[in-house]
Amino acid sequence: MAILVIAEHDNASLKAATLNTVSAAAKLGGEIHVLVAGANCAAAAAEAAKVAGVAKVRVADAAHYESQTAENLAALVVANAAGYTHILAPSTAIGKNVAPRVAALLDVAQISDIVAVESADTFVRPIYAGNAMATVKSADAVKVLTVRTTAFEAAGQGGAAAVEAVAAGADLGLTSVKGRELTKSARPELGAAKIIVSGGRGLGNSENYHKLLEPLADALGAALGASRAAVDAGYVPNDYQVGQTGKIVAPQLYIAVGISGAIQHLAGMKDSKVIVAINKDPEAPIFQVADYGLVGDLFEVVPELAKAVG
Amino acid sequence: MKILVPVKRVVDYNVKVRVKADGTGVDIANVKMSMNPFDEIAVEEAVRLKEAGVASEVVAVSCGVAACQETIRAAMAIGADRGILVESDAELQPLAVAKLLKALCDKEQPTVVICGKQAIDDDSNQTGQMLAALMGWPQATFASKVQLGDGVATVTREIDGGLETVETKLPAVVTTDLRLNEPRYATLPNIMKAKKKPLDTVKPADLGVDVAPRLATLKVAEPPKRSAGVRVADVAQLVDKLKNEAKVI
Amino acid sequence: MSHYTAPIRDMQFVMRELAGLDEVAKLPGCEEVSPDLVDAILDEANKFASEVLAPLNRTGDQEGAKWDNGKVTTAPGWRDAYKQFTEAGWTAVACEPEFGGQGLPKLIATAVMEMWKAANMAFSLCPMLTNGAIEAITLSGTDEQKAAYLPKMVSGEWTGTMNLTEPQAGSDLAAVRTRAEPQGDGTYRIFGQKIFITYGEHDMTDNIVHLVLARLPDAPEGVKGISLFVVPKFLLNADGTPGARNDVHCVSIEHKLGIHASPTCVLAFGDNGGAIGTLVGEPNRGLEYMFIMMNEARFAVGMEGVALAERAYQHALAYAKDRIQGTEMGVRGGPKVSIIRHPDVRRMLMSMKSQTEAMRALAYVVAAANDAAHRSADAAVRAENQAFVDLMIPVVKGWSTENSIDVASTGVQVHGGMGFIEETGAAQHLRDARITTIYEGTTAIQANDLIGRKIAREGGVTVKALAAEMRGVLAQLAEQQGDAFVAIRKSLESGIAALESAVEYIVATYGKDIKAASVGSVPFLKLLGIVSGGWLMARAALVSARRLAEGSDDEFYKTKLVTARFYADHILSQAPGLSYAVVNGAAGALELDEAQF
Repeated sequence: MAILVIAEHDNASLKAATLNTVSAAAKLGGEIHVLVAGANCAAAAAEAAKVAGVAKVRVADAAHYESQTAENLAALVVANAAGYTHILAPSTAIGKNVAPRVAALLDVAQISDIVAVESADTFVRPIYAGNAMATVKSADAVKVLTVRTTAFEAAGQGGAAAVEAVAAGADLGLTSVKGRELTKSARPELGAAKIIVSGGRGLGNSENYHKLLEPLADALGAALGASRAAVDAGYVPNDYQVGQTGKIVAPQLYIAVGISGAIQHLAGMKDSKVIVAINKDPEAPIFQVADYGLVGDLFEVVPELAKAVG
Repeated sequence: MKILVPVKRVVDYNVKVRVKADGTGVDIANVKMSMNPFDEIAVEEAVRLKEAGVASEVVAVSCGVAACQETIRAAMAIGADRGILVESDAELQPLAVAKLLKALCDKEQPTVVICGKQAIDDDSNQTGQMLAALMGWPQATFASKVQLGDGVATVTREIDGGLETVETKLPAVVTTDLRLNEPRYATLPNIMKAKKKPLDTVKPADLGVDVAPRLATLKVAEPPKRSAGVRVADVAQLVDKLKNEAKVI
Repeated sequence: MSHYTAPIRDMQFVMRELAGLDEVAKLPGCEEVSPDLVDAILDEANKFASEVLAPLNRTGDQEGAKWDNGKVTTAPGWRDAYKQFTEAGWTAVACEPEFGGQGLPKLIATAVMEMWKAANMAFSLCPMLTNGAIEAITLSGTDEQKAAYLPKMVSGEWTGTMNLTEPQAGSDLAAVRTRAEPQGDGTYRIFGQKIFITYGEHDMTDNIVHLVLARLPDAPEGVKGISLFVVPKFLLNADGTPGARNDVHCVSIEHKLGIHASPTCVLAFGDNGGAIGTLVGEPNRGLEYMFIMMNEARFAVGMEGVALAERAYQHALAYAKDRIQGTEMGVRGGPKVSIIRHPDVRRMLMSMKSQTEAMRALAYVVAAANDAAHRSADAAVRAENQAFVDLMIPVVKGWSTENSIDVASTGVQVHGGMGFIEETGAAQHLRDARITTIYEGTTAIQANDLIGRKIAREGGVTVKALAAEMRGVLAQLAEQQGDAFVAIRKSLESGIAALESAVEYIVATYGKDIKAASVGSVPFLKLLGIVSGGWLMARAALVSARRLAEGSDDEFYKTKLVTARFYADHILSQAPGLSYAVVNGAAGALELDEAQF
C-alpha cells in the first residue's frame, strides 16, 4: 500500500506544513509518495526528496500548476490516484481547497483536520470548534485526509527519495490567479512560529497594537497574531487571526495580550505548549487556559516585558 | 442570473456544546439552533447581488430535518426569494449534501452557488468544493470579495499569508469567508413576508441521490482539558517562570 | 462585561402554555400569527437586542446623554443603533397597519419589548414614549393629525414624547399650569414649562412630536380643565416635511441615579412668543385621553421590571458560576469552588429566577387578555378580559417594578464587594431599576388605583372571580404525585385564602375608612402580585409535569418544576404576612400625629 502526500510549496521551496503531513502519513504505515505540482518547482521537489520517510517524489511541472489552483491540481491528483490507499494534504488554504475536490471526484468522503491516526481507517478530528473530539472510521477504499499540522511533529531530514516526473494534465482553464497580496513581514510565519505574541481588543486601536506588540515580538523573535475582535476592528489584516475560523496555532509559547479569550479564539491556540495571558480583567476567560496569568495594565506590562526579555 | 445558497441549521454560535456522557455525540436536544454564520454571510452576499441588479433570483436550499424550514425562512427574511428543503432524517455528510445540491443545480441551473466555507458544527469545510467537483465547475473558496461579471467572477480569497484574486468562469461555486460582508438584521416586515414566500420540499430519493454515510463516528469525547495555571505578580516573576520553569525563552 | 441573551425558551413557554398564544392567534386580525412566525420574530429580536443594544448599555450609563446650549447629544452609538432599530421595523410591531405598523398582537409585542428593555433600558424608553404618543394620536387625533404624524412616528422617522409633569404638578396633575391660547385659525400658542420629559430633545431624528397637557383660557379648575395638544419641534411645511423651528426648547437635562443615557429634559414652551400646537380630541378631556394611554405606559414600565430582573439575574448567574471563593460547605479541605455551590448564593439566584419567571408569566397573561379585550368578536369576552386587564395593570406595574429593585439588589449581593463598585456593572441594573417604581405613577398611585377604582368600586367582583379561578388549579395540583406538588398546593391554597381575606377587608373598609384601607394598599398590591405569580407558577409546574409524563426529557421542564416549588416555599409563603398587614396594619401607621414623628 502507498500513501500520497500533496506537497505545500511555493515552487522555490517546500513549506513546513508538508513535513507535518508526512509525519501523519508515516503513522498510517505504508510507502509515502509526495506529489509536487508546480511550475519550475524542481527546487521544491529536491527538498521533498530529502524529507525523512519519503520514498518517492512525483513532480508535475507545468505552467498551469504554478499557483496550484484546485481545479487543475485535483484533476492531476485524481489522474495519478491509482494505487494509493490514502491521499493527504495539510489543512492549509491550499490543502483545504483541493482535498474535498479530490475526494468528490473519487466519490469518497474527505476527513478534515485530523489530529490523530488511530489506525489506517480511523482518525480523530476536532468538531464544534474543538469542543469535542470525534473518532471517525472511513468505509471508503481511498481515504482523503487533511492534516492539522500542529498535531504532528515535523518530519526530519535525511531522506533520499527518488524523484520522478509525472505527466501534466490539461489546463482546465477554469480559474486563473490574477494577483496575490501577501503580508510582508520579517517575522516568522504565524503557522510555523515557535513563539507568538497575539493582541486583542484590549489594545484599543491599531497604533497601540503595533507600538506595543512589535517591540515584544522583535525581542522574542516571535510571530504576531490577533483575536477576531482585533481583526474585525481593523487593527491588523485578516491573516493575523488566530481562532476557529482563522489560523490554528500551537507554538511553544503563546502570549495573549488584551485578549479576553472567546471560545472561538481559544479553539485556535489552546494546544500551545505554554500560554501567557496579560489582561486587566481578572475574570477574563483567557486566564482559565493560561499557564501564567498576569493581571495588569498591558500598557505598562508589555513594554516592561519587552525590556526584560530584550 | 440565479444564485443558489445552501444554508445549514446548526447549534447556535453562542451555545457551548456538551459531549454526551455515553460518548456517542454532542447533546443537541433542546439546544438553540440557528443558521450557520458562514451561510448567513452567503445569503447576505446573494441578496446584495440581487439588490445591485446583478442577480435576478436567490434560492435558499437546506438539507436535513423538517425544522430546517426555519433556517430557510430565516434566509428568506434576509431576502432570498424562495426555498427548497431536501428533507431527510438521516445523517447527511458533506459528500451526500454535495450530491443533493448537484441534483438541485442540474434542475435549477444557477449561475453561481454561494456557500458558507464551513459549518460550525462539523467544521468540515468541504461541501462547496465537492459540489464544484461534481458539477465540473470552478471554485472560489474563502471569498472576502465577490464581483460577478459577464460569464466570469472575480473573487478575492483569503489565503495563508494574505489575499489572492482569482478569476473564474461561470457557473461557479463561491464559498464565503468571515469578512466578505456583515449580514444585516432581518427586518420585521421581511420576517412576516418570508412566511408567504414559496418553499418546496423534496426527498433525497426524489432526486435519486444515495445519502448513505461514508464515515462512521465511533466516539465523541471531551478534548483534553487545559487547566488554569498560576497568576504571577509582575513582569519579573513572569520572565523568571518562562526562563526557569517552562524553559521556553 | 455583562452579556444579555433573551430567555427565549421561557418566553415561548409562557406565551404558548400560560398566555394562550393559540387562542390569541384565533382572534380577528391575528390570522398570520403562528408559532414559527413568533419564533422567527423572537430570534431576530434577540439578535438585535443582544448584539446591538446590549453592548451599548454600559457605555450609555458611563457616558450618558449630554446637553449643550439647547442641544442634546445622545450617548455614543445611540444614533446608529436607533437608525438600525427603525430600519429593522421594530418601532412598528403592534401599530396599526393603516399607518405602516405590523398590527401584531400585544402578546408578541410584549415579549419583544422585554428584550429591548433588558438589553438596554435607557434606549428602550425612546421607542416606548413614541408608542405612547402614537396611541394618543391614534385614539383621539384628527384625521389631519393622524395623516401628518402617524406614518412618520410608526416608522420611527420621528419620535414622540409625553409632556405631563411640571415643577408643581407631579403625581398631582390637577396642578398643571401650562397655558394654550387659541389663535383663531385652529392652532394654539402654548406657554409653560414641562419637566421630566423623556427624550424631550435628542439628535437621533429630524423631528420630535411632543404631546402636551395644557389649559385653555376658559378651562375649569382641576383635572377636568386640561386639554391635550400636539406640538412638533419643527412645524410642518405644506408637504409634511419639517419646516420652521417651533418655540419649544430644552433648557437642561437632569442628572439622575440611573438611565443616564435617556435624556430627561426640561422643556420650555413659548419663551419666544408661543409654541404652536393643535388640539388633540375635545377641549378639557386631555387627562382622560392620557389615562387610556397611560394603561399602556404603565404596563410597559411593568415590563421594565421584568426585563431588569432578568438582566440582573443573568449578570449574577454568570458571576456566581465564575467566581471561586471558599470550599464547599461540609467538605473539609476540599477544593475551592464557584460561589454558586454555596447555599445562600443558590437561594439568592433561585429567588431572582423564580420571581422573574413569575412576573413574566403574569405580564404575558395580561398582554394576551389585552389582545382578547381589544380584538375578540364576542362583546362578553371583550368585557371580561378588559376587567381582568384593568385589575392587573397596576399589579404588573407596581409589583414587577418593586420586585425588580429587590432582584437587582440581590444581584449586587451575589457579587459581594465586586457588585458595590461600578466595575462589574451589577450596580447599574439597580440604579436603572430605581426609577421604575416612580414614573408613570408611583407604586402608591398604582395601589390606590387598584384598591379603589379596580376593587372597591365594583365590590371586588373581578378579583374574586380571579381568586375562584386560582382555586380551580388546586384540584389539579392535588392529583399530582410528589412532595413538590404538595408544597406548591399548600402554599397556593394559603396564598389564595390570604388574598381573599384581604379583599374582604378592602371591600368592607374602603367606603367607611379610606385611610385605613389605603395603608394596606401597597401590601395588598404585592399580595395580589405574589399570589397571581404563584398561581401561574403552579400552572407552569402542571404543564411541565404533563410534558415530562408524556416522555419529554427537556431540562427546561425539570427546571421549571423546581423553580415553581422554590417560589411556593420562599415567595408565595409570604402571602399570609402581607394579608395580615393589610387587615391589621392601619392603626400603627396612622396613629402618630406629625409632631410625634
